[in-house]
Amino acid sequence: MDETPKASSAKTGRITRREFARRAAVASAVAAVAPAAISTAAAPLNEHANIAAPNAPGRLSDPSSTLAPPQQQPGDLPKLSPESHAEAEARFQIISSQYGSRFNDAQKADIRRLCFLAQPPLDRLRAYAVENGDNPALYFKPLVEREKNPLENTRVGKTPDAAAKP
Amino acid sequence: MPTEEFAFLTVTELAKRIEAKKLSPVELTQYFLDRSQKLGPRYSAYALLTPEIALAQARTAEKEIRNGHYRGPLHGIPYAAKDLLAVKGVPCTWGAKPYANQVFSYDATVIEHLNRVGAVLIGKAAMIELAGGMGYRFASASLQGEAKNPWDTKCWTCGSSSGSGAIVAAGLAPFAIGTETWGSILCPSAFCGVSGLRPTYGRVSRYGAMALAPSMDKIGPLARSAEDCAHVFAAIAGRDPRDRGTLPLDKAAFTYSASLELKSRALKIGWLSNAWKKPESGVAKAGDAAEKLLKKYFSVKKAALPEGPFEDAGNITVSVEAASSFRSLIRSGRVSELVDPLGQLAGYVNEQFSGADYLQAQRVREILQKKMEALFDSFDLLVTVTQPITATPLELNLETGLSFADPLGGIGNLCGLPALSVPCGFTEKNLPAGLQFMARAGDDVAVIQAARTYQMHTDWHRRHPKIA
Repeated sequence: MDETPKASSAKTGRITRREFARRAAVASAVAAVAPAAISTAAAPLNEHANIAAPNAPGRLSDPSSTLAPPQQQPGDLPKLSPESHAEAEARFQIISSQYGSRFNDAQKADIRRLCFLAQPPLDRLRAYAVENGDNPALYFKPLVEREKNPLENTRVGKTPDAAAKP
Repeated sequence: MPTEEFAFLTVTELAKRIEAKKLSPVELTQYFLDRSQKLGPRYSAYALLTPEIALAQARTAEKEIRNGHYRGPLHGIPYAAKDLLAVKGVPCTWGAKPYANQVFSYDATVIEHLNRVGAVLIGKAAMIELAGGMGYRFASASLQGEAKNPWDTKCWTCGSSSGSGAIVAAGLAPFAIGTETWGSILCPSAFCGVSGLRPTYGRVSRYGAMALAPSMDKIGPLARSAEDCAHVFAAIAGRDPRDRGTLPLDKAAFTYSASLELKSRALKIGWLSNAWKKPESGVAKAGDAAEKLLKKYFSVKKAALPEGPFEDAGNITVSVEAASSFRSLIRSGRVSELVDPLGQLAGYVNEQFSGADYLQAQRVREILQKKMEALFDSFDLLVTVTQPITATPLELNLETGLSFADPLGGIGNLCGLPALSVPCGFTEKNLPAGLQFMARAGDDVAVIQAARTYQMHTDWHRRHPKIA
């Protein structure tokens, strides 16, 4: 069974081994990039969104960081802020700690690359300003009894009125 | 006995002959079965053929028609279904090795509907493994291998309805059922030079279909004309309590008659100026000619898609939902049995996205829906070329070679909008280009009407590859 670190921590006030490992991974990732400087990144995955961002006034907030950008970023990875770099690295570390034994070195490198490539879309999405009242396109639909079988419980032929008619 | 010319007749044309009892459904089915058996492997088009089911259905159809019980334009018409639709007792592989021996004990709703109108299932169409739900880097990402394009077998059909595209383009069946989460009906239609309809989200039940991203999965036909797509859509659309994503009865059902265009409204078209960065020259040329022609029959003005991180919202939505749909595959490690190197790994990354990010995507999605509704106050349809490129080489790394921005696909699929792609010309390499019509949610009839009008004045959909 999978542990659910958040719930577990909340109940006991202590952290689980997995949560500890996750936090350690995040911490080590952040530590690895903290003294960073310049990145030499490739173009973002989604050029359109990147170009489009400045043309959507009013909805976009600035995702840029005040911290210095990280150093030692491989050339084929996107340019990321220090926070985003740490997040991408942490994502990779979580996968490594959880599933690392499944992958060879080439696959690990590929997963790390994918973790970094996943970051710019997240950053752009988070930078898009939404108001508190902007609802998500998710609507819970109660399972109305009628939906189980549309022919059951219909009024036709079942109402007392209908039955009483001559 | 049907001859070679029958391979490329439309459903409408075949139906007229069948209704007039000039064409035997049994002979027609046998013809397409033989043709599929002979040519299918050349294109890796099928997961499997279903001759026993096909001939039994064809015999029933023939008997009914002989007795005066003609069910309509799909009665006795052979078709193929993408191999992610459950057919009772028939293997349903989802194009992926971990599911190679999967068999369901029931029919998908779409199959039920097609049975009801008397269509004849001749086989399961090959597809990209898990419909690309775990990502893929190469055209070979399929249990059946790379689907080859009948226009040029060194090129791909596009995915994930890769076999469905090849089957219709090569004349192996008059129509095939495909699915689209993001591009999987429209892209194969464009690459293969056939007509493909992506219906409004919720008009066609997904019960019995593999779930990839449940808030974005749609089922629709690939066929020889917009009219054929309309006939198939009319058969498969409708409310289904077993798929709670389906729309209410009055919004889901669709009826079609040949006289549709006579009662049609004057459509306002917005020709999209920002859908593609720079289509390749042959495609751009075909698009320009199409725009010119449409101006003769419709009001056509320039239009622009709203700008924002909408593709990103779509990507996050698909990634998270797919990671959920295939979580046991990822967690068990059996995802390593997939063919594609990216497919073996991407699920691990997608599993890491947070609930907050997913909900941010859904909030952006809601905003986008309103923006698109506002755009459709000015236009009935948004039109542009379906893809900025033609069919790509089989060996291309899709992660880099097909990585261009696709705001139209992102927006259209995120908002569940109907779209129809029809052939609109050929490049110097004799590869087809597609023209895409997209309308507001629920207005499937507009895309059909416009595409049909276009096809009444062009013959691109009449062309087919030379197949020896």
